[in-house]
Amino acid sequence: MNIVVCIKQVPDTPNIRIDRERMTIIRDGVESIINPLDHIALEAALDLKQKEGGKISVLTMGPSQSEEALREAIAAGADEAILLTDPGFAGADTLATSKVIASAISRMDPFPDLILCGKQTIDSDTGHVGPQLAEELNLPQVCGVTEIHVEMNALVVKQLSDGFQNTYRVSFPALLTVSQGLNVPRHIPLGDLEKAFSEGGVLRWGLKDLNLRAEEVGFSGSATTVVRLYRPPQKRKGEIVSGSSQTLAEHLIGKLVSLSILDEDEAE
Amino acid sequence: MVLDPKMKQAVIRRTVRKFAEDKLVPAAAEMDEKAEFPARLAEEMAALQYFGLEIPAAYAGAGLDSVSYAIVIEEISKASGAMGLCISVHNSVSAFPVYEFGKESQRQAFLIPMAKGEKIGTFCLTEPNAGSDASSIETTAVRDGDGYILNGSKIFVTNGGVSGLNLIFAITNPSEKGREYSVFVVESEREGLEKGAQEDLMGMRGNPVCPIVLNDCRVPRGNLLGDEGQGMRIALATLEGGRIGIGSQALGIAQACLEASVKYAQERYQFGKRIADFGAIQGFLADMATRIEAARLLIFRASSLRDRKMPHSRESAMAKLFASETAVDAARIGLQIHGGYGYSKAYPIERYYRDAKVCEIYEGTSEVQRIVIARSLMNK
Amino acid sequence: MKTKQNRGWEGVWVFGDYRNYFQNRVTLQLIAKGNQLARKLATDMTVLVLGSQIHQYAMEYTAHGADVVMVVDHPSLKNYQVETYVRVVSKLVQCFKPEIFLAGATAFGREFFPRLAKRLNTGLSADCVALEIDRSKRLLIQTTPAFGGELLADIITPEHRPQMATVHPGVFEERIHDQEATARILYPEVDIEAEERVQLIRSKPEQGRKGGLEEADVVIVGGKGLGSKENFQMLFELARLLGGEVGATRPVILSGWTEESRLLGQTGKNVKPKLLITAGTSGAVQYTTGIHGAETIIAINRDPHAPIFKMADLGLVGDAKTVLSLLLEKLRKRL
Repeated sequence: MNIVVCIKQVPDTPNIRIDRERMTIIRDGVESIINPLDHIALEAALDLKQKEGGKISVLTMGPSQSEEALREAIAAGADEAILLTDPGFAGADTLATSKVIASAISRMDPFPDLILCGKQTIDSDTGHVGPQLAEELNLPQVCGVTEIHVEMNALVVKQLSDGFQNTYRVSFPALLTVSQGLNVPRHIPLGDLEKAFSEGGVLRWGLKDLNLRAEEVGFSGSATTVVRLYRPPQKRKGEIVSGSSQTLAEHLIGKLVSLSILDEDEAE
Repeated sequence: MVLDPKMKQAVIRRTVRKFAEDKLVPAAAEMDEKAEFPARLAEEMAALQYFGLEIPAAYAGAGLDSVSYAIVIEEISKASGAMGLCISVHNSVSAFPVYEFGKESQRQAFLIPMAKGEKIGTFCLTEPNAGSDASSIETTAVRDGDGYILNGSKIFVTNGGVSGLNLIFAITNPSEKGREYSVFVVESEREGLEKGAQEDLMGMRGNPVCPIVLNDCRVPRGNLLGDEGQGMRIALATLEGGRIGIGSQALGIAQACLEASVKYAQERYQFGKRIADFGAIQGFLADMATRIEAARLLIFRASSLRDRKMPHSRESAMAKLFASETAVDAARIGLQIHGGYGYSKAYPIERYYRDAKVCEIYEGTSEVQRIVIARSLMNK
Repeated sequence: MKTKQNRGWEGVWVFGDYRNYFQNRVTLQLIAKGNQLARKLATDMTVLVLGSQIHQYAMEYTAHGADVVMVVDHPSLKNYQVETYVRVVSKLVQCFKPEIFLAGATAFGREFFPRLAKRLNTGLSADCVALEIDRSKRLLIQTTPAFGGELLADIITPEHRPQMATVHPGVFEERIHDQEATARILYPEVDIEAEERVQLIRSKPEQGRKGGLEEADVVIVGGKGLGSKENFQMLFELARLLGGEVGATRPVILSGWTEESRLLGQTGKNVKPKLLITAGTSGAVQYTTGIHGAETIIAINRDPHAPIFKMADLGLVGDAKTVLSLLLEKLRKRL
């Protein structure tokens, strides 16, 4: 089975600072990690490869530094890694991003049987790239998958959606986005990390390698623009109470009553 | 395209830290309390190649360079000093000499199981009457036909309780005047090798340190590491790398003290404000952080030199000396910052305090390190 | 699609998601907001409803304020399936050219709308928490959370139409049901090619989710500050007495105090209860992204500068274990 896993390198930080000029976050000095759900997607690919054989290619669109994430994926067991990087790709929304990634996947020979993505990233949180990739490549999609089984010529997957557990059968080729709970990614042996960073390479494709025009990618190829990035105004009341534990417990009871969680008469 | 080594080092650090946070941190307190080595955890670590860090892939190792190795030891030690000690000694001081001085047949027979973590290694040098004065050891290895018979007592053997392979430092010509030392690889199951009860130590309690006694223990010639008489040379070469390992281990403990102290100082209120807002505490933290940064750079320098195959005896001595004293200091000040709570086992700082001290003693006391450094400064 | 002058694109559309109707009221909320937006643009608000035997929903939407209800009623549309719906809806959009198209950010909405936006080659923002109109440029300003809610982003779709957005349920208020309200009901003719490459084999209501965390009205979360596994156990009785569920932070899970299914946050669950009590948690971002949606947050922590207090409605500065055990005592007497 030929599987493509799409990953994204995202900032790993509890302290986010905003670049007010470019309306994006400041990434300098901030460690980057593979988006957690993408790790789960990669793990799913490794599982499938173990059972069905085949090849895993990992793709990411990002700056040069994203190579780090790809190498980590190779260490985990991916066979091939492609970095889609070009100054022209910068400033892309999901429409332009999916265009670039789809174009890269279309170049692959043979065309993959399965494309796996994390359901959403911890930075943009949209969850759009998966479905938009599926649309661009004209593939069936199931999002938020929590179980994957391979049958003859098809995949049977489970999904939790709006209070329902759905089971689907999807034929190949297909695109799936994965959810928390599908698996727990394995720890990577240190020797594999060493090898991934010293041997072999990561393919780099830019605009000229893909069959795309400059207006279709990056900022020019985007339909949406971020006009402002800011901290949410604090809408929490933020009332602080200190005192003895007895006082605090009583205050808590008072609050539970005012929220109608406790009845008035139950609180003497 | 030439990759920036920092990229790999950052990923290695992050990977090890994640493992340490997930698996070691929750286990560390219990390991210390019960003085119990976590066998299952060690197996998991073996599968991830923590027991073959610098050993080349050809021998089932991870093939890391020295700088990356130091990073691994630091991150593991930050979570658990006892486990950091285990893998540091196993890698630097037990597996390394087998690789460096062993014949191919020995690498196959001994090194590969060590790299896989199937056999944990020790280096048995210290004896009841021989600590810093290593040359005064009394363990003998007398020629007997095609082998040797070993007799003697080794104490304070790190990893002793769980080891599979033990490097024994012995005198091979006991009846002669000029002393000749040799190193033998002795399997734990070999008849004549006995392990004593685990030592009841102040710190590093999760490491199964114990005495090993050799009682007419017969070993074949194939277990002699290097040549007869090469023992001292092997020991000195081994210690150079060992210092980097112990230095990193101390650094990990110091870093743990710093992080715990910074966190506590921001949570603890007295006299109406956080203690972190008092100048005295800020001074403590600033000094601690600065010294830790300096220690890290010294270790980096020593390990970089080692990676470039350049001499690094002085630099590794400096790194070990400075990092171990930094750790002890960081633990002392850190505990002070924690005040009364620091004295309680509910916080990990008292364990760091107990673990840190031995870093100034083993693998060459601070006094010995100073002699090494001083001598390297002089012409003769 | 991209269109320089944006002329010819008019109207505010809302996708009618009527599944789990009654509990799921996001469409009603969007109708109310959609109306507001439409008034500002001097145009109509239309609800698009697809399905089989869905007349009752058309009536509901009328009663809740829609100007126009566009109904496509066909047996093949009975189940919400992405490809079929994208096909049908994109044809309708291309025909009727709404300038704004909104959908609730339900799981289906978040799977279907991006694919639709791609087919229409237009922009889409996800899980909006605010929507406003810039009248001068006739633009929809879409406010979405980023970094798990740590930041907000204001987004516009300057040149492409329609301007699409999925909207977080519970952000807007629905209009009261009005029996007298009327609306234009349209039955557009559209080819239903119901070919689906994704076959639904089985669909059953999600049951016995461990903890039922995501449905609970009250959630009590314990962090490492509680001190021990035994102290953490206290939360279960407390939750039972208050009719709620227990959640946990990652350090608690790692220490083995409770099972992973109770984890809240970036790598765990998101909850939106009426009340969330968070005890002994400092307020790390990886955790708080899971609780932003709670209506009322009460935090207990002994450090008055713990970040958790910044997002609490009520903050109690004290030892979590002690305060909660006192609370438990009092509750046991009362209930």
